Amino acid sequence: MSDCQSDHSDENEDVITPAELIVKLEEAWLNEKFSPELLEHKSEIVECVMEQIGHMEENLQRAKKGDIKANIHRMEIDRIRFVLNSYLRSRLQKIEKFFPHILEKEKSREEGDPSFLTAEESVFAREYLANTESYMNKVALKHMPPNLQHMDMLKAVPKPCLDTFVFLNVKERQENILVEHETDDQREYVVDLERGSQHLMCYRTIAPLVASGAVKLM
Amino acid sequence: MDTQSYLPVPPGVGKEENFFSLDDILLSHERLPCRLETKFPRLGFLEKSSDTRDIPEGTKMEMPLWVAKGLYEQKRRVLAVELPKVYREGWRTVFGADPNVVDLHKMGPYYYGLGSQMLHFDSPENPDVAQAILQTFIGRFRRIMDSSQNAYDSDTSALVERLDCLERALFREGQNGLNAFQRWEKGHAHLTASNLVINYRKRKLADMNV
Amino acid sequence: MDPSEVEFLAEKEMVKIIPNFSLDKVYLIGGDLGPFNPGLPVEVPVWLALNLKQRQKCRIVPPEWMDVEKLEEIREQERKEDTFTPIPSPYYMELTKLLLNHAADNIPKADEIRTLVKDIWDTRIAKLRLSIDSFINQQEAHAKLDNLTLMEINTTRSFLLDSLNCMYKLRTNVQPSTAAEKTMDY
Repeated sequence: MSDCQSDHSDENEDVITPAELIVKLEEAWLNEKFSPELLEHKSEIVECVMEQIGHMEENLQRAKKGDIKANIHRMEIDRIRFVLNSYLRSRLQKIEKFFPHILEKEKSREEGDPSFLTAEESVFAREYLANTESYMNKVALKHMPPNLQHMDMLKAVPKPCLDTFVFLNVKERQENILVEHETDDQREYVVDLERGSQHLMCYRTIAPLVASGAVKLM
Repeated sequence: MDTQSYLPVPPGVGKEENFFSLDDILLSHERLPCRLETKFPRLGFLEKSSDTRDIPEGTKMEMPLWVAKGLYEQKRRVLAVELPKVYREGWRTVFGADPNVVDLHKMGPYYYGLGSQMLHFDSPENPDVAQAILQTFIGRFRRIMDSSQNAYDSDTSALVERLDCLERALFREGQNGLNAFQRWEKGHAHLTASNLVINYRKRKLADMNV
Repeated sequence: MDPSEVEFLAEKEMVKIIPNFSLDKVYLIGGDLGPFNPGLPVEVPVWLALNLKQRQKCRIVPPEWMDVEKLEEIREQERKEDTFTPIPSPYYMELTKLLLNHAADNIPKADEIRTLVKDIWDTRIAKLRLSIDSFINQQEAHAKLDNLTLMEINTTRSFLLDSLNCMYKLRTNVQPSTAAEKTMDY
């Protein structure tokens, strides 16, 4: 609806239809599922979808029991909620897995740069760190000699591996995407990504394209 | 001395190598043949075979990877680490001929992980070792893939017997993908309650019986 | 990703039904549906088609490609070519399973169709394994995978990605210059 603004204010598409909104949510869901690192949060999309569902549920309260129309609407809402929950959950899973690095990245963020975490996720990440530290302390570290009681979470918890491979589908044509750097026995290896084509390649090289929406992971 | 409660063991080649990874911990306990290049004063009690106060220079002894890595320095000769047999030229030739005939579990079980770790110790053979373990992986890959994709719901212990730990992890991953698909195809793909929930229910039930 | 989640995505595909009831346009969040008139074909997403079918409110019209002759042609093509041939639906496997399991009475020669689709799937999966093996063998860093479907990718996803990651770690051992940067990652 008209109060749902697109998340990119620099593009000329200020208003998106509810149908487009659902497509964007599903894309965010799959991108988050398949990317090795936590992506920028899409809270505008989440909030708009929640609003849509809220409106719909309000209307449905007036529907009679056994109304086939209301039934169809409820089924649709259930499906959207599934995607929404799965999306948010996959973000929480990544936060639990990479919390020290995610918090570190937040700390070094320049003023004005967008945050990767929503306010709620940020609270969750900080609490998760505090709980893990106090747990480690209680069960193990406090029984160690004093000089060994410190533990650096940034070193103990592995970083997301950006060199992992991903499958992707191209939404906007891209030229000269670097596949491998120049080495002694090989020249620089670049490819063009045609619109609609599918590829298997390293995440690190195409991470900016996922962020900009030029490709989607699959 | 470092004030951290652990010596980080930089990665092997496992999927999730890290400080808390059991495979990485076990890998760091693999024993390596070493030769002391300097006297270890007052550590004689560690060497059961002699009753001297110090461990003299030139002593040959086995050390776990994590100790050897901690003591090893390129500039100051503290100890020399020998390449375990399986990475030496003789075995490299065997792997080169047909990597599939080797029982990597018996020879490993951390053939790839330990091999990668050995590269931390200076040796003119390092480039050959690195090349050999890469080629071994590539040479054995087809068999691991095929066996993991053709063994739905059957006993797989014979298939994985001769695989290194890393290969076993890959085999399991291949099986998981296949099994998930076949369960879906047969129509049993309903989401199941996690073990945690099931155990919790059992416990509740047990409590009620008291 | 669980195969049931891939099936969930497939359920968004549109399919033609012939309803036996009448209903005005339904304004769903994801787009408008209907109006529904008895005997008049109308397009709806598969999830709705299956629900209406289960409640005996419609007959499902199978997609054009779900036809013995057409599938035989696709099967021959698939066996002949080394690459993945274009497939009529990116969800051919899921739709076949869903429609045959829940609306077999609306689909002529259902059993033959099931076998044909399974043949096509098996041929494609065998090709996929061949290409995975040569990908690892050549130590490739990029592959174009047009026409491969999500369910096909999904069946070997973790195995393939883990294998590639291992191969690349072992390969960085051989190139010490890049290995130096890499170890800093941890």
